[in-house]
Amino acid sequence: MNRTLCHWLDQESEALVGKRFQDLLTVGGRIFHQTHWAPLLQMQGSLSEVKLELVRGDSTIPVIVNAVRRTVEGVVVQDLALYVARDRDRFEQELVRTQKRLEQLVAEATTLHEQARIRATFAEQMVGIVSHDLRNPLSTIGMASAMLLRDDLPPGQQRTLGRITRATERATHLIEDLLDFTQARLGTGLKMVATVLDLRASVAEAVHELAMLHPERRLVHRHEGEASCTADGHRIAQLVGNLVSNALAYGKAGGAVTVTSTVDAAQVTIAVHNEGEPIPDDRIVGLFHPMTRGAQPAGGSRSVGLGLFIVGEISKGHGGAATVVSTLADGTTFTAAFPRTS
Amino acid sequence: MSIVTRNNVHVTGDGPATMFLAHGFGCDQNMWRFFEPVFATRYRVVRFDLVGSGNSDLGAYDRTKYASLRGYADDMRELISELAEGPVILVGHSVSAMIGMLADLADPGRVAGHVMVSPSPCYINDGDYVGGFTRKDIDSLLATLEGNYLGWSSNMAPVIMGAPGEPELAVELTNSFCRTDPEIAKQFARVTFLSDTRAELPRLATPTLVLQCTDDIIAPLTVGEYMQRKLPSSTLQLIENVGHCPHLSAPAASTRAIDAFLEQHGL
Repeated sequence: MNRTLCHWLDQESEALVGKRFQDLLTVGGRIFHQTHWAPLLQMQGSLSEVKLELVRGDSTIPVIVNAVRRTVEGVVVQDLALYVARDRDRFEQELVRTQKRLEQLVAEATTLHEQARIRATFAEQMVGIVSHDLRNPLSTIGMASAMLLRDDLPPGQQRTLGRITRATERATHLIEDLLDFTQARLGTGLKMVATVLDLRASVAEAVHELAMLHPERRLVHRHEGEASCTADGHRIAQLVGNLVSNALAYGKAGGAVTVTSTVDAAQVTIAVHNEGEPIPDDRIVGLFHPMTRGAQPAGGSRSVGLGLFIVGEISKGHGGAATVVSTLADGTTFTAAFPRTS
Repeated sequence: MSIVTRNNVHVTGDGPATMFLAHGFGCDQNMWRFFEPVFATRYRVVRFDLVGSGNSDLGAYDRTKYASLRGYADDMRELISELAEGPVILVGHSVSAMIGMLADLADPGRVAGHVMVSPSPCYINDGDYVGGFTRKDIDSLLATLEGNYLGWSSNMAPVIMGAPGEPELAVELTNSFCRTDPEIAKQFARVTFLSDTRAELPRLATPTLVLQCTDDIIAPLTVGEYMQRKLPSSTLQLIENVGHCPHLSAPAASTRAIDAFLEQHGL
């Protein structure tokens, strides 16, 4: 009997003679021997790198077994080569532990991701439902105000009615922004219906409507170049509305707000300028991200900061981009630029 | 998907009855290499791999379906209904003997005879019943499987000591063993060794031959005797041999015993 094996097993040679190899194994090893590698050895005549554990008293020794089965003068002989694999065993156990830990982490991450997705969907639905439900009462207020306007009201009540009308308009825009935001962020992007339109007329109309809402402010529209381009008229009005609202809110009180629309051979630009303090540098970055806003406007909190995000999305939807330049000398100019024909 | 692909079915031979050869835990239909040529001379012989073993379609392995032997029994019933011609003889090794019993009980009258090679209705000791193992032993098996499947494919592919005589065969075998997904192997080990079908034994009226080696640690003699006592129509035939696979280690004695049994029952 091999002295090394006797040493490993801490047994005398005589105690081992007559034993079967499987008797030296753990129970798991014996089952594995009977179900896996004994039939395999019988069928293919050899095996390599089977990992088993030899029993030594109360402990075990991990070994790697290679085996050859041959017939010598009619007798089947099995040659086994064993080597101890303690380091390999430790390494493998570490691998298995790491793998289990990874699987656990992946499962946790998947669960968290799924929970976040469900929350996001829920939030989207909530915004959708609330916005939709708010539009109807706001529309009623708007119509009722318009009806009151026809009556011959005293000047004080007319001013009050003007405030009601403007507040209703702002609330309606806010809700449209919210719906657009959820659509752009969680859905398939903003819906655009581009047609050939007269940009000069479209912007002029939007500015005119805004001027009606803010009679106390000076709002100027200039147009340069040709008029015809391909764009979504409703979105252009929304873009002008958002930029002008910002300019009115953040610009110098009493200063003019100028909207300049331009159509040249290849490009359309819509620029909105206001005077006043420039936007601080640290706020310029990410200005077109949702929920970003400049310093508190003079008139108090006005929106949740979706306006510029939607301006950016509308520009992108037209194949272009929105930018801002803001200096103390020249004031602040937001510009949306996109190709003339998409 | 066809069950022929799913279970890697091979049909050979011809005869008045159909013999199904179902391998046990840890191997595949290669185990029947000595039986197939013998029985194909007189029977239509159907060899197949259990789903998750050998060259079966691993994509068909459904953890829920195969969480109990019943999932495998349902497959066997499908194989019988699609491929059997004439009377059906089920030859099942180890756990497949019990799978065959469950398939028979679910479709009474369809199977004419069972040959159970080294079967066990319950591997775990339970009161007076000696299955041969404890729950801890099965955990030890799972640990051994884990250690061997860790690098199974890369370890087994180059057979460094060579396979004398049959090099092509060796490649074929190692390849089919390599295809066994370690997770499947572990679940199959649990399902096999934690199964308990003792309660069903008295319900199996079909003639049954219990064939086992005189020295088998997986299915000890006490288990064979228990089976014979509980099965209403059974014969216990011992093969003077060591191990769990008499169909490999003592094919001639095994086929003789099976022949005698089949003849006795006119099959």
